[in-house]
Amino acid sequence: MSAETWAIARFTVLMAGLATVLVLPPAIAIGWLLARREFAGKTLVETIASLPLVLPPVATGLLLLWLFGRRSPVGQALDAIGVEVIFTWKAVVIAMMVISFPLVARSARAGIEQVDRRYEDLAATLGAGSFRILRTITLPLASRGIAAGAVLGFSRALGEFGATIMVAGAIPGRTRTLAVGIYTLVETGREEAAWSLLVVSALLAFGAIYLSNRLVGQRGGV
Amino acid sequence: MAAGARPRIRANTTLVVTKVLQLLAVGITVLAACSAPVAAQPPDLVVSVAASVYDALDEIAGLYRAATGATVALNAGGSNTLARQIVEGAKAGLFISADETQMDVVEKAGRIVPGTRVRLLTNELAVVVPKQSHDFELSRVLEGRLSRLAMGEPGAVPAGVYGRKWLEHEGAWRRVEPKVIPFPTVRSVLAAVEAGRVDAGIVYRTDAATSEVRIVGRIASKDHPYLDIAYPAAVIVGPNEADAKRFLEFLKGPAARAVFDRRGFGRP
Amino acid sequence: MIDLSIDIAMRQGDFVLSVRDTASVEVLGVFGPSGSGKTSLLEAIAGIRRPDAGEIRIGDRVLYSSQQKIDLPARLRRIGYVPQDALLFPNMDVRANINYGRHEAGEFESLVEILDLRSLLDRRVTMLSGGEKQRVAIARALMTRPSILLLDEPLAGVDRERREVILPYILRIRKELHVPLIYVTHDEAELNSIADRVLRLGR
Repeated sequence: MSAETWAIARFTVLMAGLATVLVLPPAIAIGWLLARREFAGKTLVETIASLPLVLPPVATGLLLLWLFGRRSPVGQALDAIGVEVIFTWKAVVIAMMVISFPLVARSARAGIEQVDRRYEDLAATLGAGSFRILRTITLPLASRGIAAGAVLGFSRALGEFGATIMVAGAIPGRTRTLAVGIYTLVETGREEAAWSLLVVSALLAFGAIYLSNRLVGQRGGV
Repeated sequence: MAAGARPRIRANTTLVVTKVLQLLAVGITVLAACSAPVAAQPPDLVVSVAASVYDALDEIAGLYRAATGATVALNAGGSNTLARQIVEGAKAGLFISADETQMDVVEKAGRIVPGTRVRLLTNELAVVVPKQSHDFELSRVLEGRLSRLAMGEPGAVPAGVYGRKWLEHEGAWRRVEPKVIPFPTVRSVLAAVEAGRVDAGIVYRTDAATSEVRIVGRIASKDHPYLDIAYPAAVIVGPNEADAKRFLEFLKGPAARAVFDRRGFGRP
Repeated sequence: MIDLSIDIAMRQGDFVLSVRDTASVEVLGVFGPSGSGKTSLLEAIAGIRRPDAGEIRIGDRVLYSSQQKIDLPARLRRIGYVPQDALLFPNMDVRANINYGRHEAGEFESLVEILDLRSLLDRRVTMLSGGEKQRVAIARALMTRPSILLLDEPLAGVDRERREVILPYILRIRKELHVPLIYVTHDEAELNSIADRVLRLGR
C-alpha cells in the first residue's frame, strides 16, 4: 500500500469519524423527538429528516454547494468571518454528516421506541424531569440501537461520494476521500491506481459490517 | 459473574457502547498521530480542470513545481460540475474547461478576471471501436448501421455535444440517435468500448490514444471547422489571482506546450 | 393517613371505569377481578395515565381536574408507585435503583434495614427473585418520601409460602414509616390482613 493510499485512507477515516461524532447529538435529538413526541408538523420533520436518504446524493451536494456558496446568506456570513467551507475538509465532513444523518436518526428513533415507556413513566413518579429521564433511562436503554446507528452512519460516510465531490471537490491531499479518489482516478484514466484504494475501501467496509453485527446481531437482530 | 456465563445484553450495553467509542477514539487518535507522509501544507493554487486534460496538467504541474517550488492542486471533474462549483464561490484560482459553454457560464456569473480568458488547447473527436472489431468502418456509424453507439450525454457533456454536432452536420443524427447510449463521462464511454459492450464510441482523440481501442475515424478540425473543440482557461476572481496568472503564463509557455503536443492536444 | 377523593371516568378497553370514593384511612384496599381496571386506577392516581373526566384530590391538593383543566405531572405528585412487575431499571444495580429518586440522606439506611436489602445492594437487577424485586421497588418508591404509596398486587408474582415472608415487610412499612398505602389485590385474604377499607371495582 503506497504512502498516498495510506494518506487517503487515513483522511477518509478521520473525516468519517468526525462526521459521525458530530452528527450523533442532532440525530439522537431528532430521533427522540419523533419517537416520543406528537406535535403539529411532525410529518414535515420526518420528511425533511429523510430527505438526504431519498434525494440522489448529487442533488444533496448541489443544495449544500448553494447553501455554503457566495450566493446564500449562510455562505456570505461565513465568508464575512473568513471561514472557508467549499473545497475544504469542512465540506467533506458536512457532506458526510448530511448524508448519514437520516440513517443515524432512524436507528436512534428505533432504538428509543423499543425502550419500554413504562420505565420512563416510573422514573417520572420518582421525581425525574424529562431531561434526566432521557439521560439516565431512555438513552442508556437505547444505546445499543444508537451505537448500531452510529456504525451505520460511519460506514455510509466512508463510502460517501456524490455530495462530497460536489461541495468539496476532488483535490488531492485536501479533499480526496477514498470514494472520490477512486472515481477521479478512473475518470482520468488511471484505473490501476484506483485498485489499491478499492481494496482499502473494501477492507474498511468489512470492518464496519463486522462491528455492526457485533452490536446488533447478538441475538439475531434487535 | 460465574465463569463461562454468557453476559446478559442489558447489563453489558453500556460496556459495548463504551468499547465502540473507545475504539473509534483510539483509531482516530492513532491515525491522526501518525506523521503524515503527504505534506499537510495547503497548496499554493487550486486549479479546476476538465477530466480530459487532467493527465497533461498533472505532468505540467510537476514541471511547474520543479521550476518555481509552487504547488498546484488539481480538482478534476466534469466541466459543468466544475463551473457550478466556481459560480457558487469555490476558491479555485484557475479554471480549464472542456468547452466554451461552461466557461461562458462562469464568465456570465462575473467570476472571471477580465482579460484573462484564453484559448489554451484544442482537441479533436475520434470514433473508436473495440480492439477486436477488425472490419468496422466509419461509414457504418454515419449510416446508422450499428446497434449501439456510446457517447457523452448529448445535451450536457461537452464531448457529447460535439459528437452530436458532428453527426448533425453529416446529416446522420436522425438515423443514429436511436442507437445512442449516453454516458456521463468520456471515461465511461471508453470503458464501454473497451469492454465491447457497445459497437462504437465517440471520444476525444487524446483519450483514444491511451486506451485499448481501435480508432476508425479522426474528425480532424481542419475538415470540420464548425466543430471548434477548444479548451478555454481563465483566472477566477479571488485571493489567488496573482498565483493563477503566473501559472497560466507557464501553461502558455514552451515547456507546457511540449507536454500538450506529446499528448495529442492541438494548438489554439 | 390518606385523605383521598376520586371521582373519575376512564375508558378501559370495552368498558368505562367509573370510580367515586372518598377515603380517610391508612390503608385503602382496592379489590376486583383482573381486567376490572385496578392498574388503570393506580396509574391515574400516580399521574401516568390521564382519565377521561373527573377529579382526583388528596386533601386540598387537586392532582387532576378535567373541569379546572388541571393535570399535575407525575413528577410533582409525590406519589410512590410500585407496579405489579416491579419495573426496576435494568441498566442500574439495586443500589442505584433505590437511590434514583433520592431526596435526602438518612432514609436509605433505615429502608434497607426494614426491607432487608443489605445483601442485594450490589446485585444486577436481572439476578433477583420476584419477591426481592418487589422489595427493592418498594424501597425505591419510598426513598422519595411520598405522601402515598401505591402497591399494585405486590404479592402476585410471589409463591404462596413466600407470601408469608413478604407480607410482614409491607406491614412494617405501615407500622414503622406511617406511609399511607393504596393496596391493589384480587386476593380476599390479603385484603383482610391489611386493608382498613376496601374499594371494590367490578365490571
